[in-house]
Amino acid sequence: MFCYQCEQTARTDSSAGCATAKGMCGKDATTADLQDLLVHAVKGIAQYSRRARALGAADREADAFVLYALFTTLTNVNFNATRFVGLLNEAAQTRDRVKALYETTARDKSAAVETLSGPALWQPAADMEGLQAQAAEVPVTAGQTEVGEDIVGLRALILYGLKGVAAYAHHAYVLGGASEEVFAGVADALDFLANEPKDAGALLEQALGLGRLNLKVMELLDSANTGRFGTPTPTPVRVTPIKGKAILVSGHDLGDLEALLKLTEGKGINIYTHGEMLPAHGYPTLKAYPHLAGNWGGAWQDQQRDFAEFPGPILMTSNCIIEPNPRYRQRIFTTGPVGWPGVRHLEHHAFGPLVDAALALPGFKDDAAEEKTILVGFGGDAVLGVADKVIEAVKGGAIKHFFLIGGCDGAAPGRNYYTDFATGAPNDTVVLTLGCNKYRFNQHDFGAIGGIPRLLDIGQCNDSYSAIRIAGALADAFGCEVNDLPLSLIVSWFEQKAAAVLLTLLALGIKNIHLGPTLPAFITPAVLDQLVETFGIRPISTAEADIANALNRAA
Amino acid sequence: MTTHTIDLVTRDGERVSFPCDETESVVAAAAKANLTLPGHCREGGCGACRATASEGDYHLAGHSASALPAEAANAREVLLCRTFPRGDLSIAAPFDRSHILSGPVAERQAEIVERALVGERTVRLLISLVPDEDNGNAAEFEAGQYMELEIPGTGVRRAYSLSNTANWLGHLEFLIRLQPGGRFSHWLEHEARPGQILSVRGPQGSFTLQERGLRPRWFVAGGTGLAPMLSMLRRMAEWQEPQEARLYFGVSVEAELFALDELERLKAELPKLTVVPCVWKPGAGWTGFAGTPVDALRRDLADAKTAPDIYLCGPPALIDAAEAAARDHDVPADHLFSERFLPS
Repeated sequence: MFCYQCEQTARTDSSAGCATAKGMCGKDATTADLQDLLVHAVKGIAQYSRRARALGAADREADAFVLYALFTTLTNVNFNATRFVGLLNEAAQTRDRVKALYETTARDKSAAVETLSGPALWQPAADMEGLQAQAAEVPVTAGQTEVGEDIVGLRALILYGLKGVAAYAHHAYVLGGASEEVFAGVADALDFLANEPKDAGALLEQALGLGRLNLKVMELLDSANTGRFGTPTPTPVRVTPIKGKAILVSGHDLGDLEALLKLTEGKGINIYTHGEMLPAHGYPTLKAYPHLAGNWGGAWQDQQRDFAEFPGPILMTSNCIIEPNPRYRQRIFTTGPVGWPGVRHLEHHAFGPLVDAALALPGFKDDAAEEKTILVGFGGDAVLGVADKVIEAVKGGAIKHFFLIGGCDGAAPGRNYYTDFATGAPNDTVVLTLGCNKYRFNQHDFGAIGGIPRLLDIGQCNDSYSAIRIAGALADAFGCEVNDLPLSLIVSWFEQKAAAVLLTLLALGIKNIHLGPTLPAFITPAVLDQLVETFGIRPISTAEADIANALNRAA
Repeated sequence: MTTHTIDLVTRDGERVSFPCDETESVVAAAAKANLTLPGHCREGGCGACRATASEGDYHLAGHSASALPAEAANAREVLLCRTFPRGDLSIAAPFDRSHILSGPVAERQAEIVERALVGERTVRLLISLVPDEDNGNAAEFEAGQYMELEIPGTGVRRAYSLSNTANWLGHLEFLIRLQPGGRFSHWLEHEARPGQILSVRGPQGSFTLQERGLRPRWFVAGGTGLAPMLSMLRRMAEWQEPQEARLYFGVSVEAELFALDELERLKAELPKLTVVPCVWKPGAGWTGFAGTPVDALRRDLADAKTAPDIYLCGPPALIDAAEAAARDHDVPADHLFSERFLPS
């Protein structure tokens, strides 16, 4: 096992990466290795699908499988080795089908049939030992002795960004948001990696291309979410419990939440959101369900405590799952790409066992003594709806600066930086937030400036498109570039979705991003130098110093 | 008093450390650290806390040879309830981190729903947990785990494997062999009645299904050793797990067979399940496998294309024989999972 795809990867003074029997995320070596092999396998599918597509033929099912398969390999998604053996066999069958499509189409069009090499030729071994032996040949660091760690790091940047792109695209796809451009872009990137690229310039350009592709994906996802559930509007969300039976839903998949809301209508069960599912409360179609009762707990890394204290079953619809402890292991369920050994997996919205569990478990015995709420739903439309007030406040000097504090949360002590930053931002500044690190400060009273709340919760990382729209609209309003706005981006990353969003920001030419709490282990010093030189990307220092620097730079 | 550090590494690679005096067992020291290690009798008799001392010195106090044979003890296998450190001690545990409880084992009340003789001297006992404020109706456990049942009003407890799966009706099902002269057996045969309330403690135990890809799962059960296997197979059916499975179910005489209808039903739900009832001393009309389940295991291991995971439950002699058969056919030791039935 070797894995350095997330922020919490094991680090020493001289090296970084999880390379023992179990990674920092809790993934065992077998599962991590099978995930590497699955990435290899989907490259093989992409080699054929790219060529088939060039001849005008596509296999939508195969394209969707590639997204799903890559999604399962993100940090904190699927830890079940058995599931990966199944996916590997499915990948081989899918590849064979796409290969046949390509070859048939080529012959029909009298085009030459290319004989492919590399991942295209892979055949799954018959047993676990054989698969592990195959995995050992295709680690993320393959070829490092020949091409050096900078090239391997850039390949990893593309692969991890691609995983994030695939995850977002999968979210859009399951809500009906399919795009030929996205499928083609994912296949192109995988095919690019399958060719073992060695040119640093080409690799960096591919990474930025992936960022541009991710912008399309984010737009597609935004459109799928708002098309299906309406445009989010500012909405108070109860964060204290109500007496009664309860189900907790975590992850990003709003479609799963809607299915569960429908299934539990009239059954006397309240549905609570957790973690990444918080933005659901802002969507008109979802908040119309009166039993969408509130939000429970904090960010994903606190789930072992939050889930243990929740008196009902829990559904994980996507990342981030960590090892369920015995207090709730029998009442947590997974769906979609998520998996954990010994945890029951439900597919196709067949959530009946959740209802049975909710009715059997005690639920909340009493209403909370005091009702507390937070505000969510400041998506692009909501913020732009008050753009005139915002612009006036900026021009009048009431708002001096905007800080976009977004991204993932995590358990590392250094992440207190984001709490300190948000709560330390001067009162004449506005904090825009998205992603899980908001849980570090979203119950803090920030007050308002001229009726505009000082904390605007745009949503989760899935809602990054809204943030980009807001920045673009403000730049238009002020007749300047985004980089010239009184806006600082304070980005915390943890896993591969954040890598995809970061590539998008870089592809859009956004500069001076503060990135933390640590830099990705796969970004080598040489690559970092280039990112600093080209994009002004900078590691975080202290909240106080970074706030001062940001305000000085803007002044 | 000299205190040492116990460094316990679980089967799933997690590390748990706690202090331990020379005068206290590893199990007792863990309890002081609010950790309940898997185990049952706590006096060296049941073998449920067997582990391996990978590094460090220790004293192994008196224990049952059935729970830990001398050969195993010589190879630094230990019973944690009888292990007293003589220096810092590293232990490799054959259970997962999730099987170590934070705090004591949960105790609940349950009502007898049904008690029926299902085979010669085998009783199916179905009880229903009494709903309570903290748990509602939930019967939460892993397939293969066990509960301790108390004879009402006596404090006498016995551990039995669950044969059903976790459910939301509060149901716990057991398959219990009536032992001649056994206190619980006597109570179950003569005094237990539907409607009676008894205390149950658990779930406990680490004899549970492992996720090892599509590697075949073979189950070898002696008598009521079928109970945890039935639980595992039922879970496989309920979750529609894809592995090929074989069950070798051994009894001495045909009259002792039970649950065959249920196994037929499971075969319908699990197309890759093969059931091999094994009768050691069959009558003239028996057309199935004649011999012990270990005989059948040996026969089939000889033809196996890949080394399966093998789950073993029954008396120690059966487990030992099955492990020897597995070794003879080059099945790696980490493919074997067992639970021994011992008097406690």
